[in-house]
Amino acid sequence: MRLSDLYFLMPLLILVGAATLNMLVVAVKRNHKVIFGITIVAHLVAVFTLLQLNGSSYQIPPFFVMDGWGIFNLGLILLTSLFVTLLSYAYFEQREERKEEYYLLLILATLGACVLVISQHFMALFLGLEILSVALYSLIAYLRTRERSDEAGIKYLILAALSSAFLLFGMALVYAVTGTMSFPEIGVYLQSVSELPLLLLTGFGLMIVGIGFKLGIVPFHMWAPDVYEGAPAPVTAFIATVSKGGMMGLLIRFFSQADAYRYANLMLIFTIIAIASMLAGNLLALRQKNIKRLLAYSSIAHLGYILVAFLAGNRLGVEAVSFYLVAYFITSLGAFGVVALLSDTERDADQLEDYRGLFWRRPATAAVFTAMLLSLAGIPLTAGFVGKFYILASGVNTQQWLLVLMLVLNSVIGLYYYIKVIAAMFAQTKSVQERRKVLHPALSFASGGAMAILGLLLIWIGVYPTSLVQLIRGLLATFMTTF
Amino acid sequence: MNEIPEVIRTIPLQYYLFFSSTLFVIGIIGVLTRRNAIIIFMCIELMLNAVNLLLTAFSAYRSDANGQVFVFFIMAVAAAEVCVGLAIIVMIYRNLRSTDINILSNLKW
Repeated sequence: MRLSDLYFLMPLLILVGAATLNMLVVAVKRNHKVIFGITIVAHLVAVFTLLQLNGSSYQIPPFFVMDGWGIFNLGLILLTSLFVTLLSYAYFEQREERKEEYYLLLILATLGACVLVISQHFMALFLGLEILSVALYSLIAYLRTRERSDEAGIKYLILAALSSAFLLFGMALVYAVTGTMSFPEIGVYLQSVSELPLLLLTGFGLMIVGIGFKLGIVPFHMWAPDVYEGAPAPVTAFIATVSKGGMMGLLIRFFSQADAYRYANLMLIFTIIAIASMLAGNLLALRQKNIKRLLAYSSIAHLGYILVAFLAGNRLGVEAVSFYLVAYFITSLGAFGVVALLSDTERDADQLEDYRGLFWRRPATAAVFTAMLLSLAGIPLTAGFVGKFYILASGVNTQQWLLVLMLVLNSVIGLYYYIKVIAAMFAQTKSVQERRKVLHPALSFASGGAMAILGLLLIWIGVYPTSLVQLIRGLLATFMTTF
Repeated sequence: MNEIPEVIRTIPLQYYLFFSSTLFVIGIIGVLTRRNAIIIFMCIELMLNAVNLLLTAFSAYRSDANGQVFVFFIMAVAAAEVCVGLAIIVMIYRNLRSTDINILSNLKW
């Protein structure tokens, strides 16, 4: 351990420090505002220290590597978590449960995702994944008195533990064959063999179960709608973004460092998963009346889209994944942020009926939600459109016509249910009932401001994507020199 | 008195593989068929222990400490996971007076 290692790991250390500090402050005095403030400042400082790092590749052997891809993902995760924190304040202020520990758990979950995206070793992967998962178990079941919350919690708990057991068994088999746990050394081993041994292939297959579960892709997607519905809305936003994005970051790092793109049978598995995710996600969303479940199915489909870019397996593909992740994160945060804003003390605003005539009651909220849904559908002038265009470009570039065709087809199917929600928001209603407890305007300022920023970012990236593309290209310059 | 890795190496590697795989499959079957949340947890622990055994055996055969270090991590993490898991099960028991997961069926489709 060198001193400069600490410098490069500073964003993670700040999160650890903030979690400890929060714990101590809660022990002395419970104050929602103070804990909220500490969490926000910690995220900002972590992002600031991240900006000090340049994109050059820095090894912290054997566990971590800090390169452009890692820095990109860390920045994305930290900013997303910052927005989730902003959205959480008004949401939890309305509820009488103890709210301070929520921020502690949120910081820990963010830390887990951060460890995940810079790991290059099975042990670091496992530790990061479990820090993320264990924090998420309690976050999902956080609103203890709600029946659905604990049901979602136990479902996620059992399935996540089961999937990590699969992941571990897969890792053990890979270790058995290759004799190493670090990604680059596995890559070296794979270079030396012409064909994958059966045991190694089994190992990779079992690992795909663990990874696929976290990504929420078909056939490991069954938990997604239930957990999305049962979890508090800000936590749902966190699961949809940070938890899935972190795993995607890891998957791309593993495949590029171990150079596993060469194996046709692995690629075939992912192709089938991608097509199944797109189809199942969109078709199951069609008849959905519950907004949170609808967004859950839509996120299954979106992960399928991202896999199309991932399967391209070249620099353009990784760029497309990065761009789409940014667009998808902004959109998901915005959409679940609206759900969190509209939720009252008894339950989350998750029925389609809650949104009927929303435009005439709260025009600004409805406008943001419309923008988010249009971006999810991939309508021009939004970030989602540019992202989808990028993915199509990478698919066409590598001539994966089947995937491209399915992507286009599914975008059309997806359009239907997004438009359905938008139509409901603009419908005229006679009876207007507001069951919300009216909050102090300053309280909802954080959420309102966050939503406005998200909406502006969405349009800005949609109209002028060049700056984001250049940022991504600059950071990826040091990553994957092989391509 | 032999060194422990040597003792481990007296049994062929395949046997460890078969034994761990069997334990792992028993764990999967348990998770899929049992309805009590606590027993499901025990089955998941069984699966994790199958992995531990496998890692230890491979580690001894390769004379590489990585596998055994990993086992300690897995044990620690499994303990943490069970803590949170049992807390959630206790919460469910308080709400529903049961740990049978069949009762939990509010969330579907």
